[in-house]
Amino acid sequence: MSKNFLKAVGLTVSLALVISLMSLPAGAAKTGIRVLVFAQGFAWPELFGSTGVDETERLKQFEEKEGVDVRIEWGDETAIRQKVAADFAARTGRYDLVLVGTDGGVQTYGYGGFLEPLDKYLELYPGGYFDPQDVYPQFLDANRVEGVLYALPYYSFGAGIMYRKDIFDKYGLTSPKTTDELYQVLEALKSGLRGEGITDVYPVTMRGAPGEEPTLDVAGFVYAWAGYPAWFEGGAMTPDQIKEKKAMPIFTGDFAPGFGAFVEICQKYGPPGIATHTWVDMMNIYAMGKAAILMPSAINAYAALGVTEDEQVKKYTRFAKSPTGSGGKQIQSFWTFSLGINKDSRHKKEAWKVLTFLMGKESMQAFAERTQWPNVTMKSVLYSDVLIKKYGMEEIKLNEESILEAEPFYFPYIPELNEYMDRVGTATSEAIAKTKPVEAVLSGLQTWALEAMLRAGYYKK
Amino acid sequence: MYGQKYSNLKKLVLYAIVFTYLVFVLFPLIWLVQSSFKSMYQALKIPPALIWRPTFEAYQKALGGGMLRAFLNSAIVSLSNVVLVLVLGVSAGYALANLKTKASQNIGFWILTVRMAPAFGIIVPLYIILRSFRLVDTIFAVMVAHLTINLPLAIWLLKSYFEEIPSELAEAAIVDGATRTQILLYVLVPVAVPMIVAVSALVFLLSWNEFLFAFVLTSEAARTVPVLVASLAGTMRFDWPLMCALSTLALIPAFVLVVYLQRYIVRGLTFGAVK
Amino acid sequence: MSWQYKFLLPALLVLLSIVAFPTFFLFYVSFHEWVLFKRGMPFIGFENFSRVLTSPEFLQSLKVSVMYTFSTTTLTFILGLGLALILNEQLKGRGIMRTLIALPLVIPPVVAGFAWKFALNREVGVIGAFILPAMGFMKSLLADPSLALGSIILADIWSKTSLMFLILLAGLQAVSPDLYEAARIDGASSWQLFSHITFPLIKPAIIIALIIRFIDAFNVFDAIFVMTSGGPGTATQTFPLLGWKIGFLYFHLGQAATLAIIMLIMTIGVSIFLIRRIT
Repeated sequence: MSKNFLKAVGLTVSLALVISLMSLPAGAAKTGIRVLVFAQGFAWPELFGSTGVDETERLKQFEEKEGVDVRIEWGDETAIRQKVAADFAARTGRYDLVLVGTDGGVQTYGYGGFLEPLDKYLELYPGGYFDPQDVYPQFLDANRVEGVLYALPYYSFGAGIMYRKDIFDKYGLTSPKTTDELYQVLEALKSGLRGEGITDVYPVTMRGAPGEEPTLDVAGFVYAWAGYPAWFEGGAMTPDQIKEKKAMPIFTGDFAPGFGAFVEICQKYGPPGIATHTWVDMMNIYAMGKAAILMPSAINAYAALGVTEDEQVKKYTRFAKSPTGSGGKQIQSFWTFSLGINKDSRHKKEAWKVLTFLMGKESMQAFAERTQWPNVTMKSVLYSDVLIKKYGMEEIKLNEESILEAEPFYFPYIPELNEYMDRVGTATSEAIAKTKPVEAVLSGLQTWALEAMLRAGYYKK
Repeated sequence: MYGQKYSNLKKLVLYAIVFTYLVFVLFPLIWLVQSSFKSMYQALKIPPALIWRPTFEAYQKALGGGMLRAFLNSAIVSLSNVVLVLVLGVSAGYALANLKTKASQNIGFWILTVRMAPAFGIIVPLYIILRSFRLVDTIFAVMVAHLTINLPLAIWLLKSYFEEIPSELAEAAIVDGATRTQILLYVLVPVAVPMIVAVSALVFLLSWNEFLFAFVLTSEAARTVPVLVASLAGTMRFDWPLMCALSTLALIPAFVLVVYLQRYIVRGLTFGAVK
Repeated sequence: MSWQYKFLLPALLVLLSIVAFPTFFLFYVSFHEWVLFKRGMPFIGFENFSRVLTSPEFLQSLKVSVMYTFSTTTLTFILGLGLALILNEQLKGRGIMRTLIALPLVIPPVVAGFAWKFALNREVGVIGAFILPAMGFMKSLLADPSLALGSIILADIWSKTSLMFLILLAGLQAVSPDLYEAARIDGASSWQLFSHITFPLIKPAIIIALIIRFIDAFNVFDAIFVMTSGGPGTATQTFPLLGWKIGFLYFHLGQAATLAIIMLIMTIGVSIFLIRRIT
């Protein structure tokens, strides 16, 4: 038995080695570019198929023409974060293109020196797949840290209110232009629905899960109520500004009203489970017809439209621009799904080619056609036939206005942004769940922020 | 206890307990399989439709996504893990069972501690070390990582089983002039078959299911099934029926394996040999 | 004496070579300040430890982790042991029942997490929005601070009882039925059979089952992250979730390593305690 055993072991190990060796790329005539990203099957479906692992004709054409071999790797957000962090920590430059979001990724990686500044590439290689003129400036700007461009946007969204016209009509309501009107509408919806004994449809669905999930929206509320990004004194937005003015955090100051409003609306008018709701829950609730309003990240309602089979939801969903708060600004919610070039990449020129191809008009158009969401970066794509046919010119125009009126810099752009996003979101969840009263939550945030900024040396003489 | 003749009432009670637990276990599984044949909207509809027109969308997506490759990888990793764990673990377990000193206690414990460090701490150094040996995205790397998870468990289980085997068996063989290896292979292993089979089943399942190391250490080539599930239906593009379809497909081989193996997890047969 | 060490060597070498560098790395890093987006990695002695141990998140996570780990370990143990004892008997259909019980092992924890998240969801879930409200239960199982912990424990019990069951069942195989026969002839009761024969003989299986279960429960990440993201607020934020955030979100790799080491020490401590107590 021992001989056979050893044979079996030897065979298995050799088999495993052989297979793993076979999986190493055969000496490539083409430069291999590794891309690490999520949303398999719905990002770049025209290139990678609906499964994400196809090698379509279009992809092969591109690879032939440019002499690259695009190796795309998918994962979910958590897993991607780990891989990117491990790659950066080890400075191995394994991934040439990495996914970054404008809610922390661009800022943290940008300041940390892990991303290649892209302005010079735009200058050196004009024309080609990506036309910056076609892109709405807000989407490009959001990817700038202190003016330096670190990533290019793929799909992106701005703020808005998505609502059920049929439900609004039933109670004689119109879309709110100000936050005061918003409260009135929500109250009317609540009493109307309850009055009819409807307990499983809620006036509004928002997201309140701990972590960075709700912070994009919460920050938008803060901005609308305070009239400026009220995170640090005087609305300081960059490390330099904070150091210069010695701007302290103001979580118990001007930050509080917007934060409190968000929490209050969630508690009074949102579904019971809202304190752990992610965008997925928001989308599902709206898709199942259980909410009259979805705000302020309208994209999730557009996603719900793709999933729902409820005729009312399909027919009567409308878009309205975000209401204006007491500070004179609209509630914001702004994010781009962007890719950046790894500073340690060994093939930056080729990576740039792949990047512009992936972010170019062709890709954006294919995205619009596949998802039918109007959350695109380019004017020409927003006004393309497929979207106009689906939503009508009026709604498309409204979407465009909301983009043009958006303010991407409604929260500070600092290297510690990831941590701030996470803590603010967790505080939001805590407040919604009434684990602690709003004041306690905010003062906890304030204490932490003060200590962190002090330790990071922001207020040294 | 074992072998007792139970009254029918007692039997009924025992069955009832098991049945209740089985309902708890099977309810989510049935719901999972059911959802794999629905569209996303249908899957979330309340009250859930017990009769509906099934769609195979989810399966089409699942089977197109490199599923076969992932299955192959998972199978290779799990099977080779079983082989390696048995080879290393049986000898180590036998050795520990025969080390009657303080040393054996301590070695046994330190073997167990290998498993104890939290995952978030290990990822970065593990990645660094594998990267420097150019072993990222190889089945070999995943196999090796899984050894740290499975080997300690196997060694402990086998050690305890070997300790229960009466020493007369081994002594009789020594008198007959056998070497230690021969004793292990020809006398003790046959007796330990039930435990060996149990350990194999456990190691296979744990390896099949392991996500973290498999994800960090692979890209496309060496992806295993859990990694595929996570990437095909991850948090960004949420597709519940797709996840269900993938899990159902992943269930099948493991189900077959368990059905086949559990027949062999029967009591040891040769204790009578001592008498 | 030497033959035992020869037999042990291959396994030890394999394990040591995989674990050595990461352990050394963790210790080294925990004594330095390493923030990924900042330059340099200065030595700061025990400062990471004092910072981590005195932070409010640490205390909260300690509470959550202890409650979670203790509850799920004891519950899965009791359940697993009970099922193993029952299905060790000559009952009809036990083969099928054993197979079915083992099934949750095949479902990746991420999927199990999503399954329970969707099922317990208060607005669209089969259990949370349909079965429970019909019975008059109106609270949200995942968003109510007092219930969320129970929900994740439930999901973990579903996932992991199978493993306990299999380990304990394997351990029960080591007990020869002849021992029971002999004792029964001498007139022993069921409880005596269990406490004097079964329990002592399966002690090793119990120890390994408890320790493995404890380590796993202490380290659970995927399922909880998917079900509640550690919430509401921090009501279900266990150590692994906290450690993940500190390392991969905040990029304080030095502090993450410190937390990892603190967790390691706790795990070793509890394991030693369990082994001493049971043997």
